[in-house]
Amino acid sequence: MMRIATTTATLAALLAIGPMTGGRQPLASPAEGETALAKLPAPPANGEMGFVVTHFVQPVIQGPDACPQGTTPKLRDAYLARQTPEERTRLLLKENETELTRSWQSDVIGPNGTNICSQPDLFENRTPLRTVQSKMAWGMDLDGGGRGRADSCEHETFQTPTGDQGIDNQEYRVMGCTLEWRGVDGIAGDQEVGMRQFMVSGEWTQVILLRGVNSLVRDDNVEVIYANTPDRPTVDSMGKFLPGASFSVSDKPPRNRNVLRGRIENGVLTTDATDVKLTQTWGQGGARDIRGNRTKYDFRSARLRLAFQPDGSATGMLAGYRPVFDVIQSPALGGIGSAVVAGIDCAATLSTLRKYADGIRDPKTGKCTGVSSAVRIQALPAFVNDPNTATRTAAR
Amino acid sequence: MKRVKLLKLATLGFAAASALAAGVGAVDTPPSIASPAPSAQAALAPQFQIVAMRRITEAQYRNTIADIFGPDVRVAGRFEPVVRPAHELIASGAREASISPAGLEQFDAMARGVAAQVFDESRRSQFAECQPADATKADADCAGKVLAPLGRLLFRRPLSAGERDFYVKLAGDSAGQTGSFYKGLELSLSAMLDSPNFLYVVETAEPDPANPGALRLDNYTRATRLGFMLWNSTPNEALLQAAQQGKLTDDAALAVIAGRMVNSPRFEQGLRAFFSDMLLFEKFDELAKDPVIYPYFNQDVAKALPEQTLRTITAHLLGKGGDYRALFTTPNTFMTRSLGPLYQVPVHKSAGWEPYQFAAGDDRAGLLGQAGFLSIYSHSGRSSPTLRGRAIRELLMCQPVPNPPGNVNFTAVQDVHNKATPTARSRLTAHSTDEVCAGCHKITDPVGLSLERFDGIGAFRAAENDTPIDSSGILDGMHFEGADGLGKTLASSPDTTQCVSSRALQYATGLGSEDVSPWVEALDKQFAASGYGIRALFLKVATMPATWQVKAAPLDQGATKISYAGQRR
Repeated sequence: MMRIATTTATLAALLAIGPMTGGRQPLASPAEGETALAKLPAPPANGEMGFVVTHFVQPVIQGPDACPQGTTPKLRDAYLARQTPEERTRLLLKENETELTRSWQSDVIGPNGTNICSQPDLFENRTPLRTVQSKMAWGMDLDGGGRGRADSCEHETFQTPTGDQGIDNQEYRVMGCTLEWRGVDGIAGDQEVGMRQFMVSGEWTQVILLRGVNSLVRDDNVEVIYANTPDRPTVDSMGKFLPGASFSVSDKPPRNRNVLRGRIENGVLTTDATDVKLTQTWGQGGARDIRGNRTKYDFRSARLRLAFQPDGSATGMLAGYRPVFDVIQSPALGGIGSAVVAGIDCAATLSTLRKYADGIRDPKTGKCTGVSSAVRIQALPAFVNDPNTATRTAAR
Repeated sequence: MKRVKLLKLATLGFAAASALAAGVGAVDTPPSIASPAPSAQAALAPQFQIVAMRRITEAQYRNTIADIFGPDVRVAGRFEPVVRPAHELIASGAREASISPAGLEQFDAMARGVAAQVFDESRRSQFAECQPADATKADADCAGKVLAPLGRLLFRRPLSAGERDFYVKLAGDSAGQTGSFYKGLELSLSAMLDSPNFLYVVETAEPDPANPGALRLDNYTRATRLGFMLWNSTPNEALLQAAQQGKLTDDAALAVIAGRMVNSPRFEQGLRAFFSDMLLFEKFDELAKDPVIYPYFNQDVAKALPEQTLRTITAHLLGKGGDYRALFTTPNTFMTRSLGPLYQVPVHKSAGWEPYQFAAGDDRAGLLGQAGFLSIYSHSGRSSPTLRGRAIRELLMCQPVPNPPGNVNFTAVQDVHNKATPTARSRLTAHSTDEVCAGCHKITDPVGLSLERFDGIGAFRAAENDTPIDSSGILDGMHFEGADGLGKTLASSPDTTQCVSSRALQYATGLGSEDVSPWVEALDKQFAASGYGIRALFLKVATMPATWQVKAAPLDQGATKISYAGQRR
């Protein structure tokens, strides 16, 4: 029976230096989420701490300077923009609505049942996406300042609102002006809302288990198990995660049991760069099983950073490089619907991602095939069973 | 067309079977079936007399159907509950339980559903050993061979010749009109399931040779009592055969049979039913909590709470053969994933139950530290030391507490946000300044306040409204601290063992607490001599003469006559 004692101290006020998404719920990044040493929870008696991840979403910094031209136009609007003013006016007449729809949709449907999202490579020369113009982004410095290492490509970097320089987040640069990510300024986009729903539904519950924790002030050797579990989270009637639930790391493929090594300094855990794979499940009732189409998060050379909070929770970030196609995995699975209903130009997205790729260099071509990425994480204390070692742990 | 005819016939059969047996001892023949049809009424030998009728419970109905026809036969419908008399068991209430017309309709719907499943093509061969000469016509010989054994199992005694003829004729009439031998059987079976001989345990007595002039329960009644008391189900073939051979009125043979039953794995089902009755588990059916106040409460939790308590009880008393008193202090229980967050403890298995042991001295030890007890004896939005204290007095110590008067002002205890009275203790202190209230609260609150470190769903809390909770308690002059202290105090109280002894005897006989009181002290002593083992207690109850004696006058001495329409005449 292993319990990790946690503090009952009151929740420290989280510094909110500019909302990361939506603006409705300012969330702390590792930097500003650091806890005063005096308020850190006591280290666990048995050296183990368990968490269930409650938020896992790409952070967006709101504000007019990020996308001064507005969000990337949807397919219909992009089609109209390519027309002469006279033709545009004609097509927008009510009586020509059917023609307009047929015209812009024919632009995204190819021969033999192909379409722009299922087969984006068949649709060339698309107008690139609008990219983020501001210098601000959340993320981590993955390559030592964006100068391009052997396995990465040179690129512009961001800085965080808290002043960290050399931040790599090319995924945000490309996707950050899409309506799905940014939403209407000041209101979270579909990405934020959808990812929260996915987490609450338990379609891809993630757990984190720390072992060998002797101090939350300084500990140079901590083992981190970052894994998926088939267990659904315990939530209240409002869909809010509740601490103290039990989860088992999946013992069936795909296990996605990532073993990381890290260190704790002043209440912040940082892991060494390694590949991290986690389950993605897109929608319920999909082709493969009741939990929908199953794909994978594939973070290369990824690092996890978690700041321990006085109430026993943790907030932080996972950052690494993602293969460019993974970024459009969801609309690609959505196929023609993603294009004609959601208006997403998968081909343009993919080509823009390739243009800004800064990691996962292909040794044959020398080209980068992945984009740097960052995902904000929040986690609550939980009891995590790891069948590999038959241990369990949590904060209480 | 056939369907319409069958429905008409079924209605006739149902009415006939029900009405014929409704008064059991004295029934008028309904005018609509005044033909020379055979009667479904049991022909009792003159020396046998009906002394009691007890309605079977929902669980007993379901267990009976499963035992006779198989667990795959579905029982679908709403059961009219047996009303619990104040401070007594449902088993006692069953002696006085009637069935309303609406309730009877439900029983009839369930009976038709069961009968249809039993005689559908996939199952009929299990119950019909003979084949009709022509499946589209009546076959009295084959119908009798099928219905008589089923009737014996359902009525828990052999059918009388009149009953047998009645159900065979009913099947034959139906077969003739529907063109199906099996539809005839179906109708007859549903009529049996509607019969009071099935829905009620009809207890009959015979002269007691050891006490001239007195009565004792006869063999088949004993078989039924043993079945429902120890296994919460109908007597099985072995019990019915023992009854037929007269073994159950032989003390030595009875002891062997009862001993076998309490040592059977099926005794767990009986023990679960007993404690569900004793601890008022029907309250779980209406358990509701405010989800805003108690985010950890949900339907999965509600479903798991009674099961956790029953598993704790049966694992301790049967699995370990443990001392009944240790139920109030045992650190051992069971957990599921749904309960883990409420208790804030780890649970290994993703599905199902697993054993769990609390640390020594943990306030969770014993039944009273479990969320099941703590939540049903709380309000929907706050805990209640009064309800908890009263439940402990009444259910575990058999000490009835009077109901509050109708004009009580509850404002002081309900105002949980008043800063002047931040804890339940302070609110109850304010409330009890009224002398009218103080009398009863002195009985309940000092006991219940010791459980205040558990909120209205049984989740742990150290403070209420930021004020540390004082969990000291007093019971019969004994001072203690918290649920752990309360458990130890109850374990050392002679009232708890006397109470469960009394309840066991009431459960077996259907009598009230006053009726069984002359035997309780002696029974408790024998319970003590066994090391307070529950098997020993029920074995003693099953074999003590008091269980089989008949105190009441036979029901059919000047019995009320019940007409076809069920109206008293």
